[in-house]
Amino acid sequence: MAKQKRLSNQKHVKVRRMLTWNGKCILCIGLSMIGTLFFFIIPYIRVLYYSLIDNQFRRNFVGLANFIETLRNKYFLLALKNSLLLIVICVPVLILLALVISLALAYGIRLLKKTRVAFILPMILPTASVVLVWRSIFQGNESVLPIYTLFIWKNIGICIVLLSAAFSSIDREVYEAASLDGTSSLQLHRYITVPLIAPTILFTVLLSIVNSFKVFKESYLYFGGKYPPESSYTLQYYMNNNFLKLDYQALATGAILTSILVFLIVLAGLALQRRFYK
Amino acid sequence: MKRLTAGKLLTAAFILLLGLVFFYPVAASILRSFRVEGQIAIQSYMELFFDCFIFYPMFWNSVLYAGVITLLQLFVIIPCAFGFMYARFRGKNALYIFYIMLMMMPLQVTVLPNYIGLRDMGLLNTRTGIILPMIFAPFGVIVMHQYMKSIDNSIIEATRLDTSSMIRILWTAVVPQLRICIFAVALFVFAECWNMVEQPMLFLKDDRLKTLTIMISQTDTFSPAILSAAAVIFMIPVLLLYMFFNEHLEQGLTLKDLS
Repeated sequence: MAKQKRLSNQKHVKVRRMLTWNGKCILCIGLSMIGTLFFFIIPYIRVLYYSLIDNQFRRNFVGLANFIETLRNKYFLLALKNSLLLIVICVPVLILLALVISLALAYGIRLLKKTRVAFILPMILPTASVVLVWRSIFQGNESVLPIYTLFIWKNIGICIVLLSAAFSSIDREVYEAASLDGTSSLQLHRYITVPLIAPTILFTVLLSIVNSFKVFKESYLYFGGKYPPESSYTLQYYMNNNFLKLDYQALATGAILTSILVFLIVLAGLALQRRFYK
Repeated sequence: MKRLTAGKLLTAAFILLLGLVFFYPVAASILRSFRVEGQIAIQSYMELFFDCFIFYPMFWNSVLYAGVITLLQLFVIIPCAFGFMYARFRGKNALYIFYIMLMMMPLQVTVLPNYIGLRDMGLLNTRTGIILPMIFAPFGVIVMHQYMKSIDNSIIEATRLDTSSMIRILWTAVVPQLRICIFAVALFVFAECWNMVEQPMLFLKDDRLKTLTIMISQTDTFSPAILSAAAVIFMIPVLLLYMFFNEHLEQGLTLKDLS
């Protein structure tokens, strides 16, 4: 009798354990979720609200008037144009360069592996540390060249890390089979390596596009907090200047528009990736 | 073994040249700090260490912010990634995609919500205000979750038979298997925080709470000699971390299928 009771007790405990396992797993996400809720989701909803009212004090609902005004704002349009130009010009160059370098690091002469550090360091090292040298290299060049160069210099590391990780997961036998047919190594990579790691390449492109929005840090440090030349005025400058003025309506509208833009880019990327897998 | 072809040598030369170009700014920054009026000298370091007292609190702030954020972030992202792996509930995929979206959002989107959240909690111009929002950055969750797909599930199952404590399961069965990924993420997050400019610039008013990044960007306030010395000192902590964890970087940071 006692034994039976103990057995059922054990069973009871076990049932409780089974029940709470999933609950505990959900709880694990909880901590991160709470932080995200308080520092992002709830404030984001308020940002959305700010973008729909006329100002902080009167709080009249004005519909999309702020958005229309922002989309007509000369500086916003300039910033948007420059940000998009950066994506269109720099991201392809960046990815192509990263692809060539990581291919050479993975399949080239072994001694070449030692150069890897030169490409990874910019990602890790603080931009603030090397910005003085960048300034002396470009000597007050007013074009987009310094910022484009800094962007590529800064972001090539993460691209190479991600691509190299993908290369190391490719089965070497694939190459042995293909090289028996006498294909050149260029063809080999063009027709085998690149298609095999297409999902990673796509992700790297996506990440680089997103990182191009973050180029403000480099640009701000490069220009030393001063006003940048018109061609380097990107979206973050627009936001930053409005931050200093504490113009909540312009800020909120800018943030919402940028988030919609990024949302669409990421969504397109994820959809494309899904197609790759099927 | 493969033959050495002309093409290979040519590629090698090209990559070598490119490597030099990429490495030049780093090398030049270091050399620059040791040169005073064309001669080799450590004068700029002397000036920095003995005449520029704001350097110390700012350096300490950089260490404090980056260190605390990295450490606390690990406590948030490891359970969270684990939860995404093993929990079952409706809307989990949608939540995961939300995290990916959030990871991709640039600062100009997240900084205003962060600012408003901090303002309402009265945390603007405090150390906590810099640290707290950064702890919940989603990047680590996504990377950790990707890596978790490849770990040995049976160890977790075996530990579950032993204990029902989630903390013990995480500590004894999950964390040891994630070691490489933890190093990689920690290095990455530390470097990211070490490098932050916008948050201290926008959330802090008090100079004594600001970081070295802000000091180095104030070219009008400090002499070039002091700045170039500070820039080199500023590199050292990340450089040391990189030397310790560099092999883990590639194995730890795999991001490919996000679905």
